[in-house]
Amino acid sequence: MNKQIRRLAAGLLVCYLILFIQLNLLQVVKRDELATNTNNNRAVLRDFDKPRGNIVSADGVVVAMSVPSVDTQFKFQRVYPTNDLFANVTGYYTYAFGATKLEKKFTEVLTGRTTEQQVRSITNIFSGEDNTGSVHLTMRADLQQVAKDALGEREGSVVVMDPITGAVLAMYSYPSYDANLVVVHNSTEAEQRLEFLNNYPGKPTLANAYQERYMPGSTFKVITTGIALENGLIDFDSFWENETEYLPPQTTNPVENYQGNVCGGDLREVFRRSCNTPFARIAVELGVDAMVAGTQAWGIGEKLPFDIPGAVASNFGTVEELKDNVARLAIRGFGQDDDLMVPLHMAMVASTVANGGQMMQPYSVAATLDHDGGVLQTTAPAVWKSPLSATNAAKLNELMVGVVQSGTASCCLQLNNGIQAAAKTGTAQLNARGEPQRSHAWIMAFAPAEAPRYAIAVVLKGTTAEISEGTGGKLAGPIAKTVLDFALTLPAG
Amino acid sequence: MHPLSRRSTELGLVIMAGTITTAAYVLASLGKNSTIPPIIVPFFVILLGLLLLAHLATRILARGADSTLLPLAAMLHGIGFVMITRLNDRLAGLQTTWSFVAIAAYVATLLVVQRAPDLARYKWTFFVLGAGLLLVPLVPGLGRSVGGARIWVNIGPIRFQPGEFAKILLALFFAGYLYERRELIAASTWKVGPLRLPQPRHFLPIAAAWGFAVVVMVGQKDLGSSLLFFTLFVVMLWVATERATFLILGAVLFGGAAYASFRMFSHVQDRVDIWLDPWSRYQGKGYQIVQGMFAIGDGGLGGTGLGQGRPNLIPAVQNDFIFAGIAEELGLFGATAVLMSFLLIVGAGLRIAIRAERPFEKLLATGLTTLLGVQAFIIIGGVIRVVPLTGITLPFVSYGGSSLVSNYILLALLMRVSDSTSRRIGELPDDPTINERFAAWKLRRELRKQSGGRRGAKAAAK
Repeated sequence: MNKQIRRLAAGLLVCYLILFIQLNLLQVVKRDELATNTNNNRAVLRDFDKPRGNIVSADGVVVAMSVPSVDTQFKFQRVYPTNDLFANVTGYYTYAFGATKLEKKFTEVLTGRTTEQQVRSITNIFSGEDNTGSVHLTMRADLQQVAKDALGEREGSVVVMDPITGAVLAMYSYPSYDANLVVVHNSTEAEQRLEFLNNYPGKPTLANAYQERYMPGSTFKVITTGIALENGLIDFDSFWENETEYLPPQTTNPVENYQGNVCGGDLREVFRRSCNTPFARIAVELGVDAMVAGTQAWGIGEKLPFDIPGAVASNFGTVEELKDNVARLAIRGFGQDDDLMVPLHMAMVASTVANGGQMMQPYSVAATLDHDGGVLQTTAPAVWKSPLSATNAAKLNELMVGVVQSGTASCCLQLNNGIQAAAKTGTAQLNARGEPQRSHAWIMAFAPAEAPRYAIAVVLKGTTAEISEGTGGKLAGPIAKTVLDFALTLPAG
Repeated sequence: MHPLSRRSTELGLVIMAGTITTAAYVLASLGKNSTIPPIIVPFFVILLGLLLLAHLATRILARGADSTLLPLAAMLHGIGFVMITRLNDRLAGLQTTWSFVAIAAYVATLLVVQRAPDLARYKWTFFVLGAGLLLVPLVPGLGRSVGGARIWVNIGPIRFQPGEFAKILLALFFAGYLYERRELIAASTWKVGPLRLPQPRHFLPIAAAWGFAVVVMVGQKDLGSSLLFFTLFVVMLWVATERATFLILGAVLFGGAAYASFRMFSHVQDRVDIWLDPWSRYQGKGYQIVQGMFAIGDGGLGGTGLGQGRPNLIPAVQNDFIFAGIAEELGLFGATAVLMSFLLIVGAGLRIAIRAERPFEKLLATGLTTLLGVQAFIIIGGVIRVVPLTGITLPFVSYGGSSLVSNYILLALLMRVSDSTSRRIGELPDDPTINERFAAWKLRRELRKQSGGRRGAKAAAK
């Protein structure tokens, strides 16, 4: 019988060996496959039972935090103390519908899962201290609030940047939403609210400042002028005859000045008065190739290298699209037709002029810290594009100062304490000829003009009669003034 | 190793098992509530006391027995207990009670069964008892169906699975019957055409007994037990007769029976379908096994840590799926430790069988070890999808009184066989057992009484 018993032992050994192999398959080989299975919500559940770090504004206001949950489903509840103020920056962190924006991008840091945090907190394993990291914004809550109040209940966006570093200091869009509404643990409730928000006019869950793009109108003339200066086509001594309209090649539709005005003069004058025909002529004279290449040098056509996920690209058009359609090239030369600019990108354009021609990468996160306040990562300013020489940047600066001193922004951008701003306005005409007036109101600016600290872009969407009948200078100008005036009272750095 | 130092080894290992269990208990509490359990000192004292009680009973009643079985069982029991306390406070209390009962049953078994060969005499008693226990759940009023299987009995507040005990009784019956008739069955002198079969009068009784048990288990929809019992019978028959024919015959028979039940019973088909593709049945019958696999995968190499996983997402995790919970929180390392523990128990059990000199003890040790080893394989294999899932408990680990108590009884019987062998092969002096000493004492007293009486009579005659 012993022979049989030994064989039985061998047989059972083989059985257990099979178990061991399968266990290895499940726990090592197929581990990730199991973890990423759509039905597997263990990772999310785990996160909801752990604290999650704070997102903090540059002036120390906590804009996202975890508090002990009152329900029994999870141990913690995500809270956004500033409600709608930073919803387009933080995004939300829900149980059933995932995370968005910074909550998504920095989830590893916030939950303490980065390798560096794990290593640093190794001594805390037994004490059970949490090792959540925090995300520190470049944005200031006070400036953000001023921007929000200045915008009021008008659809649009305000973006304030540090032109030298590319740090975004404020970025608010109306309508926004209260992120607290969607982070409730009850999935059904969260789903209903999210659906409501996603279908709400003005798309509050979409960050208009970097996820939407609008026709830029005359603000685009800064770019056209920049390209022409770089190409040596124009300079301060260039001169355009007075005219009411200009007929570009390949069309019978003439280009008109704003409200059919007579407009002309030297570069300073046509820029300050924002004539259309000179810039249409410039675009045509530069030609399709130079214009397309020039706009690309400004980053148009590329997704913005923003550190919040989901930024979109501005649009000018391609060579193929425009080479047999010079008429449209002419119109796009002054920011109409299919020109589309992301509001953040417009602030970057203003920053470029302010920063001697260097376009910095925009960023919203200054640093990430571990649970002890030790730095995990800081954002180093980086140049993204260099579309202008310093000389030409200085020339554009001067042109933009002219707009504030005696041009389309003279009404509305005289800053407190006599600080000189530089600006360009835009009134993007959305209606076809003969239709009721409908337009976006834009302004982009920076201040102080001689040593710029702040760059700003404001857009008001042409959704109401008030906005549609106004101009960029009159509507967006006062918002820029309010925000810049406040910003300039802040301590430097 | 000197046979007498076995007990010291056992003592050391048992204390280690108790300490590991206590440490795991603390870690689970830290993981779950970030607090050290307030009852940690009494917990440790009672646990150690319980284990020392089992050890002392072994030292007194079976001092020649194997030194690793009790510590291995204690370790598995401890891991299972910590998992259960971590899963459900109410069940933890019940399992504590059952743990006391189980150790008591272990001691009682060692006390009652002092000579392994004596058991052979009661084989038909065991069969009748075993068959009776199997049938109890079918009695209206007493029996209860849980999860489709009618294997539960409610008596007052106590609910138990008599089948767990029936398995041991039937293994005892097989060992007793086969040791007597194994040569007659092996001879196979009955010629049917080209086949040579055992004489029906030798083979029929045991085949009928086995057939009866399997039919009852299948009828109760207790697939796991049917499979286990089938395997037990074939293995014991094969080992007893030393004829591979029975193994082959068993395999063929099993194939036929499995196919027939697959065609006949929808719940068997379900099990196979779920085994082959649980993913598409996630929303229904595949939910448990898919959640089990998520848990196991989540464990990875080192596990989430005790108290830090989410084993409660798996339905009935404290019973059939406790292995998934262990694999989740203790990872591949912990799960492998459990596998190794069972493998070591199997190894120790079969070593006892090989060392045993008398066929009955050999067969009994083989049968009991097969029960334990195959049961663990069936349920672990079911949980990790090596074989179709059949509901059955993981010995020593799963929640459940019947399972725990019956497995400690099984353990005591193995220990008894081991101890008997040590005495028989002269490793230890074959001292009289306590029962025998008691009997001898009674006899001497009787004799004294009689001789005293005679003396009295003589005196009276004078």
